[in-house]
Amino acid sequence: MPKAIELRNFSYSYPDGTVALSDITLSIEHSQRVALIGPNGAGKSTLLLAMAGFVKGTGKAFIDGLEINRKNLKKIHTLLGSCLENPDDQLFMPRLFDDIAFGPLNMGLEAEQVQARVTDALRTVGLVDMADKAPHHLSAGQKRAAAIATILSMAPKIITLDEPDGSLDPRNRKNLLKLLAGLPQTLVIATCNMNFAAVIADRAVLLDKGHIIADGDAKEIMYDLELMTEYGLEVPTALHSKNKMSR
Amino acid sequence: MHHAHIDKFAYQDSFIHRLDSRTKFAVLLVFTAVVISLPRTSPGILTCYAIGPFAILVWAKIPLRFVFKHILLVSPFVLVLALSCPLYDKAPVTVAFGPLIWKTSFGWMRCFTILAKFIVTMLALIALVSTTRFNDLLNGLQRLRLPKLLIVQLGFLYRYIFVLIDRAHRILRARAGRKLRNLGFKTELRIAAGMLGSLLVRSIDNAEHISIAMQARGFDGNWRTISKLQIRRADYIFAIAAAFFLLVLHFFVKPAVL
Repeated sequence: MPKAIELRNFSYSYPDGTVALSDITLSIEHSQRVALIGPNGAGKSTLLLAMAGFVKGTGKAFIDGLEINRKNLKKIHTLLGSCLENPDDQLFMPRLFDDIAFGPLNMGLEAEQVQARVTDALRTVGLVDMADKAPHHLSAGQKRAAAIATILSMAPKIITLDEPDGSLDPRNRKNLLKLLAGLPQTLVIATCNMNFAAVIADRAVLLDKGHIIADGDAKEIMYDLELMTEYGLEVPTALHSKNKMSR
Repeated sequence: MHHAHIDKFAYQDSFIHRLDSRTKFAVLLVFTAVVISLPRTSPGILTCYAIGPFAILVWAKIPLRFVFKHILLVSPFVLVLALSCPLYDKAPVTVAFGPLIWKTSFGWMRCFTILAKFIVTMLALIALVSTTRFNDLLNGLQRLRLPKLLIVQLGFLYRYIFVLIDRAHRILRARAGRKLRNLGFKTELRIAAGMLGSLLVRSIDNAEHISIAMQARGFDGNWRTISKLQIRRADYIFAIAAAFFLLVLHFFVKPAVL
């Protein structure tokens, strides 16, 4: 069975020459929940863009065995759904229903199928009553959930999320975690929030300056106080307390 | 941040609200064309034309305060044009309004006609946008085969104008927090240019992200939506009533007033 995501020696530099990703080799199995962690500017968002085929670098990249190239891009976008950092960028239609229907309609589905997918996606994220609302009438938490619904309606095998917990209060963060925990898809989440990553991920990939520094079990990496401190990150609070207690 | 949305009453329910957006748009278009084509020196007849949109606004329970507030908001643009008329057209004219007769100039007549036409057409426009959800309006325009690009741009304008206003407010607040003395006109102008530049750059950045979000969901240049619009019997009744209203004004009231 092909890997959900596979990158072989992938490198990318910005037009000004700054290296964003350097010789990234990474493979992610289906149904894995991977947290891309690292300080600001580590290359997490660029790596997510590379996985969706939005940055063209050197090396090879595959989604579900399909090589990322111009010819396969449309198919790749039905396999991998990208949720951007700012929900206002993700929700661009005047009505929430149309935003969630946007992907399925572009996939060529019939109106009844689209309607069913939109209803399912809205039910999953708990926004059934909001279908007719304009996105600018939603709260931050609702916008985040709606942004995920725009991806769910396309029924992708893989979902990438860029800083999904940004600007959410604890209650909304908890709701988001509950929502993500219930998704059967392969999840790749870029985040600086170790508490968030520790709850959702079973694997962590630590990035810094475009390089993979560590890749392995989420708990092992995130609980490594020395490693986390070296790269300007924090140990998840719950674990940190546990370490203190054990000492 | 809270914004007063132009379509905030469009989510109410009334006979007018339930009409198909295409019917309302077509009626608005004809009404506006008729009002604009009225003679430039006939402000009196325009009060009769105002009855139509005024009745719709009252029927749809749109607060008149909201309506006049929005008319006032856009009035400065028209006021400049209207108030310039008396300056260049000073030919004398005698005006009669019922038993009252007085002398004025063609310039002032034009000024009042422009203002009256503006108010009447704005009443009709607000009646449309206050009783039609913006999305339904866009769907209607699409079904009426208006250029796709125009509809997409209107959709984006409606979606992002408030995001942009919020951003501008934040920049202004940040400036106010650090501006501790009067900096003089030239410096203020330079700062304003910088702020506008910052807004522009961030808008371009947003546009790039939106483009990514659209492509990620299979956008190939064709704008696809599900439209639930349907012309019903009520739409025919409304269109016939509007036509009757305009014909009565044109053939019976207008000759009597002019």
